[in-house]
Amino acid sequence: MNASAATISHGHDHGHGHNHGDDHGHGHDGHHGPVLQYQPGLPLSRGKLIMWLFLSTEIMFFAALLGSYVVLRFGAPVWPKPHHVHLSEPIGAFNTFVLICSSVTIVLALEAARANKTGLAKFWMVLTLALGGLFLGVKGYEYQAKFSHGIYPWSPRSRVFEKPDLYYGSAVRARLGEPAIIDRLKELDDAAENTLSEEEIAGRRRLKQIRQMVMSPDQQPFDLAVVADQVMPLPVEANAHGDKGGHGSHGLNDTFPWLKLPAVIPGGNMWASTYFFLTGFHAIHVIVGLIVFAILLLYRLGPKRAGMIENAGLYWHFVDLVWIFLFPLLYLF
Amino acid sequence: MSDHHSDPAHSHGPITRSGEIPEHDDYHGHNAGDHGGDHAHGGIAKYLAVFAALCVLTTMSFLTYSPAWPWRNEPHVGWAFMMAVSCTKAMLVVLFFMHVLWEANWKYVLTIPAAMMALFLGIMLIPDIGLRTRMVAQERALHMARPSDVRLMEQAGEADLLADPAEHKNQSEPHN
Repeated sequence: MNASAATISHGHDHGHGHNHGDDHGHGHDGHHGPVLQYQPGLPLSRGKLIMWLFLSTEIMFFAALLGSYVVLRFGAPVWPKPHHVHLSEPIGAFNTFVLICSSVTIVLALEAARANKTGLAKFWMVLTLALGGLFLGVKGYEYQAKFSHGIYPWSPRSRVFEKPDLYYGSAVRARLGEPAIIDRLKELDDAAENTLSEEEIAGRRRLKQIRQMVMSPDQQPFDLAVVADQVMPLPVEANAHGDKGGHGSHGLNDTFPWLKLPAVIPGGNMWASTYFFLTGFHAIHVIVGLIVFAILLLYRLGPKRAGMIENAGLYWHFVDLVWIFLFPLLYLF
Repeated sequence: MSDHHSDPAHSHGPITRSGEIPEHDDYHGHNAGDHGGDHAHGGIAKYLAVFAALCVLTTMSFLTYSPAWPWRNEPHVGWAFMMAVSCTKAMLVVLFFMHVLWEANWKYVLTIPAAMMALFLGIMLIPDIGLRTRMVAQERALHMARPSDVRLMEQAGEADLLADPAEHKNQSEPHN
């Protein structure tokens, strides 16, 4: 903005004085020459301008991510329902609430700093930091729920298969044939009934049946669908009565956490890629925001720092904004 | 209103138009404060009202799940509704929390081109990514899920061939 900001009051500006000196001869002597106004190109401070320019690039960045998600999602022949991939709407809504709260607290921190209430500003800033941390904690918990169901964004760790085909069947056989699993299965088969819970007894019976089905030489295509359904059923779609519908959706992988059999989620792999990509980039932005807040906490948050707080706040509101769109797109569609 | 500005000249102008530049020392510093334009605005009551509106809107996203929602068989209506709610929330955040409502006209310079580029980016993705699943490599066609696979899984769930008479797994069927 320096080029457009060049017409500073000439009475004080010796550097530019000789360029324009002929126009007004009496500028140098402290007399009252034509004092021109400082004229910035845009009526805002440099830091804020740069923050807004950065945010406009961020708009395009997230628009590309969200756009590709939308286009992939609606272009895909099959896309999993939120419950198929163990997404919990209330948790997502809670995180939305947390981010909205943190947006309010940072605004209040700015107001307090402008009013020179430094203690109050610091309080709101600490609260913002805590809410951001809470958001990340909830996000981590959600990621853990995905990981525990074998949903990873990358291939060797992911246990998600697209459909119950022969590849799925051979993957289940391969897992059941691992030495550690053979030992655990033997242990389970030999266990006395009174040492097991009711669920485990039923699970053991079902596990035995699917082991026979998956090994059977005259296996029918439908058998593998039954196996997949036993390992990790696709939960009943959420209905008006809340999560009750998903009650019957307890698979063998849930009953025996060590089993870790491959599971079938139609469209689950593309879902995992987009979900972790979108929420991952958003989480990175949250982390950056938290670092900025932590740095700001080192200063005395008075009117002198109001500009810094405002810029950090602008960034934080943008992060909130992205989540406002991510939440319905990922959890509710 | 939480702040009492000493200079009345700055406290009433609703918008600092690009023509009238306030004579403010802040322009010479980097981040040292802010121009008079939005000092007179905001106010904690207003922020709390916006916060309440945002909470109400977040709850409204769940309206599509309620039994009273009349378009249960037409998901597009629900999606459009949720996007409308999201856009409203986004506008509230941008206008009030980001102070854009009270900013000068530079806001259009920065936001409109970015928004247009964003829209353009999204549209450009349709042929390259969105329509890709219509024509796929044979390898991918072999492994990708199709709607028939979802039906197969659902049938397997309903049939429950392995059910023991003693068990009653699907007892909690949703009753609409």
